Amino acid sequence: MQRLCSPAFIGLAALAGVLIVLPLVVTSHFAIDICIRILLFAFIGVAWNLMGGYAKQLSLGHAAYFGLGAYTSTIMQIKFGISPWIGMLAGGVVAMLASLPIGAVCFRLRGPYFAIATIATAQVLMLLFLKFRDFAWGAEGTTIPNLGNTPLMMQFEAKAPYYYIALAMLALGLAITYRIERSWMGFYLVAIGEDEDAAEAVGVNAPQVKRNIYMISAFLTALAGTFYVQYIYFIDPNTAFNFNISVEAALVSIVGGIGTLWGPVIGTVLLEVTSALLQSWLGSGLGGVQLTVYSLILISVILWRPTGLLGVFTDAYKWIVRAPPAREAAIDG
Amino acid sequence: MAEALVVRNLSKRFGGLRAVQNLSFSINEGETVALIGPNGAGKTTSFHLITGFHRPDEGSVTAFGREIVGLRPHDICAHGLARTFQVARPFGGMTVLANVMTGAFLRDKRPEVACAKAYEAIEFVGLSAKAHTPARDLTTIDQRRLEMARALATEPRLLLLDEVMAGLNPSEIDQAVALVGKLSKRGLTIIIVEHVMRAIMAVARHIVVLDHGQKIAEGGPKEIVKNQEVVRAYLGSGYVHVATAGET
Ligand SMILES: Nc1ncnc2c1ncn2[C@@H]1O[C@H](COP(=O)(O)OP(=O)(O)O)[C@@H](O)[C@H]1O
Ligand SMILES: [Mg+2]
Repeated sequence: MQRLCSPAFIGLAALAGVLIVLPLVVTSHFAIDICIRILLFAFIGVAWNLMGGYAKQLSLGHAAYFGLGAYTSTIMQIKFGISPWIGMLAGGVVAMLASLPIGAVCFRLRGPYFAIATIATAQVLMLLFLKFRDFAWGAEGTTIPNLGNTPLMMQFEAKAPYYYIALAMLALGLAITYRIERSWMGFYLVAIGEDEDAAEAVGVNAPQVKRNIYMISAFLTALAGTFYVQYIYFIDPNTAFNFNISVEAALVSIVGGIGTLWGPVIGTVLLEVTSALLQSWLGSGLGGVQLTVYSLILISVILWRPTGLLGVFTDAYKWIVRAPPAREAAIDG
Repeated sequence: MAEALVVRNLSKRFGGLRAVQNLSFSINEGETVALIGPNGAGKTTSFHLITGFHRPDEGSVTAFGREIVGLRPHDICAHGLARTFQVARPFGGMTVLANVMTGAFLRDKRPEVACAKAYEAIEFVGLSAKAHTPARDLTTIDQRRLEMARALATEPRLLLLDEVMAGLNPSEIDQAVALVGKLSKRGLTIIIVEHVMRAIMAVARHIVVLDHGQKIAEGGPKEIVKNQEVVRAYLGSGYVHVATAGET
């Protein structure tokens, strides 16, 4: 009962309430589109953060799993008429399986070499799908047949249902993160991120833990891929395996607070809102400006706040309430 | 008494350097053994070989009846061998409690249980007041204590301590000696690498002396301090007088 009255719980309930009511209030397509993008990229960031944030395995190749999810469900839908709801799960499984050999190779490397190897995997997959002409429509890609309002095929006329799906995915990702963070797995991930040898010395099977978290991370990222192509009704290798997806997944976590529950969410809100505002002020012609601002934000965060924006907020909170170092902080690891 | 650890003909080369050569010794369960020798003698390398961080070129290590050469470090830890590092390697971003809980999760995955066990180990090494301090804010000495607590939380049967008393002042050394004594009384088998002879004399019944990767002597403390080769290679000629003077 006490938990239900805690400020954190009330805050969370209020946030959930606002997010659920939002599409009823916001009717502008432009605004709701931004909300959907925020939810989606926050979700991708959350998926990335499980491995990249907690275990500090800085992958820059998560587009591989986004793309595999997108292609799996699309191929199943167009070639075999299978609902993307099922395709979404299938895509997750495909991504999970793909993460095994990819991880087996990439985890042999550490630091920047690991990051580069993951970039390569996503690029190789993109090249493969460019070649698969009869199997996956090659470079031209394909539009996804519009069946009208068919919820069973994950197609809706209104934007609100997409919004709720993205919201549900984000809630799922956060719930999984919350559970992992508080379990032995969370401790093991952080320990591996801090010092893999020292973790091994206290019985942590580091290769196995990394493999498992990579599978979970890949699975979740693939769900986002399916959702995204269903939302934009189009797929081609460049969309599905776009390097920007990999970068954004890492960036939102780094900006918001790496290895924290809410970091990716805060990072996404900041980056997406900034880029949407810039686009509406400057027009989309000036693509370079957006990138520059992104880079500037990233540089400032890394210089001033290596713990991300969440660190700023928690410091400010502590300063305001002048809370003594919290006992519970131990569990946060 | 059963043998906890049997090391046979262990050798390790780093390029042309023979860091450990043909090392053999054994330890009975419940015994505390000291591994001593000058810097670069191969003590830390021996620890790495026993705990799976380096693979020996030759030789075997049997712990509690099982051959452990070739096992990964986490398997060896699960088999009951826990170690500290000569330069402490705490998980800096974690609190002391979280560090030690990470060790405790090896035997029980429930957070409440791991937390309780961690508190016990933290109390044992005398770090209770700093349970919620981030490990990176600890002094070097407290980081060593933390490493011991983290190792103990894995519930080892054999504990390998690499220079945990380096840099301690005399009263801290007394505390550390008492701690090792307490662990030994609990039935733990201990191998300790140390330079502080006073501490070694106090805790170890058996001493193995290494020099240039080779075992040059082995025996009880009194034999060792009188052994001419040990005195020449490690203790220095001044030592014998001090040691014998202290004893009489
Ligand atoms: N990873 C390594 N690569 C090359 N040489 C090493 C390595 N580790 C230790 N050595 C060398 O092996 C010898 C034994 O070192 P070490 O076992 O650390 O000695 P001790 O702990 O007895 O002071 C030293 O000469 C050291 O320089
Ligand atoms: Mg050493």
